[in-house]
Amino acid sequence: MPKRKLDPLPSAAFQILLALVGEDLHGYGIMRQVAEQTDGRMRLGPGTLYSSIHTLLEEKFIEEVDLREDAKLGHERRRYYRLTSAGRKLARSEAERLAGLLRVARAKKILRGDYV
Amino acid sequence: MSEKIYAWLLRLYPSHFREAYGNEALQLFRDRARDEKGFFPSLRLWLDLLADLAISVPREYGYVQPTLLGASAQHRLDGVPAFYVLEGESPRLGALLFGSVLSLVALGTFWILLSRAGSYAGIGVMASGQLQSDSRFSQQQAPRAGPQDAISATNRADGEVFKLDAAERQRVIDEAVAILKKYYIERDDAQKMADALLAHEKSGDEDAVTDGAAFAALLTRQMRDVRPDRHLTLDYSQAPLPQHPTGPAPEGLARYREAMEQQDCTFERVEFLPHNIGYLKLNSFPDVSVCQQTAAAAMASLNHADAIILDLRDNRGGEPAMVALMAAYLFDHPEYWYNPRENTTEQSWTHSPVPANRLADKPVYLLTSARTYSGAEQFSYDLKMLKRATLVGETTGGGAHSGVWHRIDDHFGMGIPETKAINPFSKTDWAEIGVEPDVKVKAADALVTAEKLAASKLQKK
Repeated sequence: MPKRKLDPLPSAAFQILLALVGEDLHGYGIMRQVAEQTDGRMRLGPGTLYSSIHTLLEEKFIEEVDLREDAKLGHERRRYYRLTSAGRKLARSEAERLAGLLRVARAKKILRGDYV
Repeated sequence: MSEKIYAWLLRLYPSHFREAYGNEALQLFRDRARDEKGFFPSLRLWLDLLADLAISVPREYGYVQPTLLGASAQHRLDGVPAFYVLEGESPRLGALLFGSVLSLVALGTFWILLSRAGSYAGIGVMASGQLQSDSRFSQQQAPRAGPQDAISATNRADGEVFKLDAAERQRVIDEAVAILKKYYIERDDAQKMADALLAHEKSGDEDAVTDGAAFAALLTRQMRDVRPDRHLTLDYSQAPLPQHPTGPAPEGLARYREAMEQQDCTFERVEFLPHNIGYLKLNSFPDVSVCQQTAAAAMASLNHADAIILDLRDNRGGEPAMVALMAAYLFDHPEYWYNPRENTTEQSWTHSPVPANRLADKPVYLLTSARTYSGAEQFSYDLKMLKRATLVGETTGGGAHSGVWHRIDDHFGMGIPETKAINPFSKTDWAEIGVEPDVKVKAADALVTAEKLAASKLQKK
């Protein structure tokens, strides 16, 4: 049985995949995007961020793109990351799994109201 | 300065991480430090970093740990054990040896435990034709008159008046000694009790006693002086005891079935009270083979209640199987279900969760009275001990009937515990002392009190 570090998908890894859906980002960009999409609830620290990135790279869910400068952040060249098609598929299946859970939670009336 | 501190902290990570991501981590720190200026933002930054260190440093060292957790959670449901090789290389020789030794020790322990448990079960086997082996929890099961019942029996005018003479006393004591030695589960104490009975007889302590009930109570006390076992009794019955225990005859069963159908299996009332509180009044725990569907329907009809009140104030007991079946609805996982009449087996766990049942997490209030008896007391006792129900009302009757009945002659018999059920809750159960309610009120006021408790609990939610 091969190693399966991403099964189930840790929430940090899922957030990173989601952050990369629209555009390629460097580490700090990913961190800010994750903070934004979770309303500031999840601020990935360097350790968690890069260990998740490392695992996602290993499993080929994301890939590195060339070093570039971020005009807003000065002249330092940064490593950018991009979602692969496998990563997009994984993010979608995780989202579907969560949607399934949400349906159950609604059916069990844990959520008040019909919309969340 | 702070960058230097973080650079130093980064050295806590293993080298493979530092080589690959050390610079980027430091860069990220610089980016954040630049963007998050001021006292509170930098405080938050450092708190984030420290929390991140605490979580990710051990993870980087114990690289395989998340793999282990993740994999087992995903596959546990199939019921098939799955093993994952966490590292590419094969296990070390030392680990294999340690594993083998550990397995042998575990197997040995299980074997010893199992063989010991077997000897207890062996004692419990009903060997004599005299034994009443009915497993029912019921006051009708055997002529098991307690001391009070026996006294009331003496007061009854029907039948000829029984006279206790020296020969009868002798016979009862001899028989009691023999039964104790043969069946009592604690062998050493059995011998001591037998000795005590004979010693009292020799010193003539019972010579003046001519009343059957008083004689039975005296012998019971003599035995319990050796070992205070409330399941051990010597009983007297004014009415002659039947020679052989009568099993349920076919026509009796048909009559029972008919009676149960007429009385809705003693589910007297199922209704909804204000505040969406479900109310169920159950007056016995009837035979599962006859009443399972009625029980299921009654419990299902309460599914949409926010809290339930189970009224056992007129419940005199019944079948342990029905007691356990009803309890299963109140848990979402199998729960150990203590029954003093039976050895602990795999049957001792409730069959929870019950499909389509929604009562497992609802608050439960149990109404009790001094008439609540036997199986109904088991239900109350276990739920109280498991903290699954709030008992409201009076202390219950105190009928545990956990002994096997041995007939001595027409008027005397002995109840002897021959089983060892594990009581995980306390040293004593409810035999003769009853189950104390959590909220003590008169039985007549129990419903109103429980309704108030339930309503205020629901409002707090």
